[in-house]
Amino acid sequence: MKYVQHINELIRTTIDNSNPIVLYGQNISAGSCISGLTRGLKNGEKRLVINTPNIESTQVGIGFGLMLSGVSSVFFMKQQDFLLLGIDHLVNTYNFVRINEPSASFTIVPVVVDSGYEGIQSSLNNFSDFCSIARIAGYAITNRHDADHIVRTHLVSPGFRIIGVSQRLFQTEILSCENDPTVYNNGEIFQYYEGADITIVCFNFSFPQGMKLREELATLGLSSSLFSVNVMTPIDWLHILRDVSRTKKLIVIDDSKSVNRSCYHLTTEVYRECSIDRVLTLTRDVTDECLRPCSEEFSIDTNSIMKTLRQ
Amino acid sequence: MFKEGTVNMKADIKVSEEIIRNRLSQMIINEMCKKKEFKIPIHLALGHESIAVAVSAVMEEDDRLVLTHRNIHYNLARNPCFKAEIDEYLLKSEGLAGGRLGAMNLANERRGIVYTSSILGNNLSVAAGMALGKKVKEEDGIVIVVTGDGAMEEGAFYEGVTFLKTCNLNAIVIVENNEWSLATRIQERRCPIHLDRFASSLDVDYVLLTGNDVYAYITALKQARREAIERNAPVIIEVKLRTLGDWRLKTEEYPDGKFINYHAGASPSIEVSEWPLIREDDSDPVFVLSRYFEIGQLRNISCDMLNRLTGEIQ
Repeated sequence: MKYVQHINELIRTTIDNSNPIVLYGQNISAGSCISGLTRGLKNGEKRLVINTPNIESTQVGIGFGLMLSGVSSVFFMKQQDFLLLGIDHLVNTYNFVRINEPSASFTIVPVVVDSGYEGIQSSLNNFSDFCSIARIAGYAITNRHDADHIVRTHLVSPGFRIIGVSQRLFQTEILSCENDPTVYNNGEIFQYYEGADITIVCFNFSFPQGMKLREELATLGLSSSLFSVNVMTPIDWLHILRDVSRTKKLIVIDDSKSVNRSCYHLTTEVYRECSIDRVLTLTRDVTDECLRPCSEEFSIDTNSIMKTLRQ
Repeated sequence: MFKEGTVNMKADIKVSEEIIRNRLSQMIINEMCKKKEFKIPIHLALGHESIAVAVSAVMEEDDRLVLTHRNIHYNLARNPCFKAEIDEYLLKSEGLAGGRLGAMNLANERRGIVYTSSILGNNLSVAAGMALGKKVKEEDGIVIVVTGDGAMEEGAFYEGVTFLKTCNLNAIVIVENNEWSLATRIQERRCPIHLDRFASSLDVDYVLLTGNDVYAYITALKQARREAIERNAPVIIEVKLRTLGDWRLKTEEYPDGKFINYHAGASPSIEVSEWPLIREDDSDPVFVLSRYFEIGQLRNISCDMLNRLTGEIQ
């Protein structure tokens, strides 16, 4: 099953049990339904599906207005960079609303444009940049396991959050592991494997790269722990720090283009708290090349990593 | 005591009392601003009292009011406890919102003020969401959102009204047009925006209110409220008014005094007094009351009110 199909099924199932609710966004029940993300959403008893005008700032405000009325909503957004037009609400309106701990739910589900071919619009693929501006809870979906947990737990739940999905992964087969991961901090951190030699931690939407790296290291006789950090800044790094203290080797992967990457919070903590032999931080080079339409492959050279680890 | 041409003296005089209370309360706050008793920025709305008192008078239990940074007149109109307002401005826990909101975001959910934003145009979309929420929950009542001539320049204003109309949501959009955005008049900062034509282009009803006659405003608002609910559509009401409290600043460059528009903080030209008239023309809602009642009666009301308000906060 494709990544987008799996998430679409989860959304429809979760929303079936949530009334009253408003589902809205541009073309969410027209055309491709955001490339299949919102396919099959239908009006129902106290459930309203709205194809809205092109009013991104207002769309964000509407969700908070619904929240203040005690009505839950999900705002689906074709491109995360459109959310730039709603930043006033993400900060100022949310800061008003959060004071009263609302019982209704408001979730924005943007497609993070990280395939690269949109050029300038792809330059903003760092999900956590949006979350950090007002300490917004944010969850990135990268595979079957985190999708199941995040959508079922957070899509309709009191409060506000952003759940990001990756355009790059939309038409790929959804990744899945043999065993269910251990979920820490209510979906902030997922641990997929425990290994003896290396700790791999993936940020933003880099779980596929982390999974591949773990498999390639295994063929070279190295067993790795594999974590994915699906939120902006977990409050509690404890479980990762424990693992790093044991393996003494940390590989951090972050595919975002921000200069304020979440992975730096972890490496700072590791240097402060752990006795460690080696830390490798694998990130993109943020240059003007990012502004041009291109494939934006974020590939990892396992041989080069092995060479560094042996030094 | 009661002039010809009006009805229901008991009800009418209470409305006038509210105008006077609103004015005196702001004047007392202005004196406190002069003494720098507040750490927070406060935007007085002297001259805006008629529309605020009229809105409060027509609001039904299920109605919701959404405000902007200049909200003091509505909060005073909806809140009978003056001390709670002062305490909020002093950021005390006894304040209207427990000292958590201050002035520019002050709301009072128990009295129907559910959201207040200090960002121009921001509150239109939140109000639209509330109107949509009412529709989904099949609740009675209407959302009333207050904004200004500065905010209607924002794209958010256009978006919000478009969404209200598109989704057949009943709401009243009140534009308080005082012609100023901080220190610039409309003609100094932009081309004219013909709000009536804008409304017409979206097939939205438009009502113009001028003259600060609170009784006429109540009648107009009741009709607008009824029509918005019957038609499931927004109504735009533009209220032409003048923010009072301007003064002249004498400098070497301006020996006769440079005109300073009142925007926020203390107005040095306003003094609290038992008869709180500021201007003897229709730009002053207190002056307009004299069309309905004898000045002596209004002065007596004002004198008693001032004693009551000062006693309340001592």
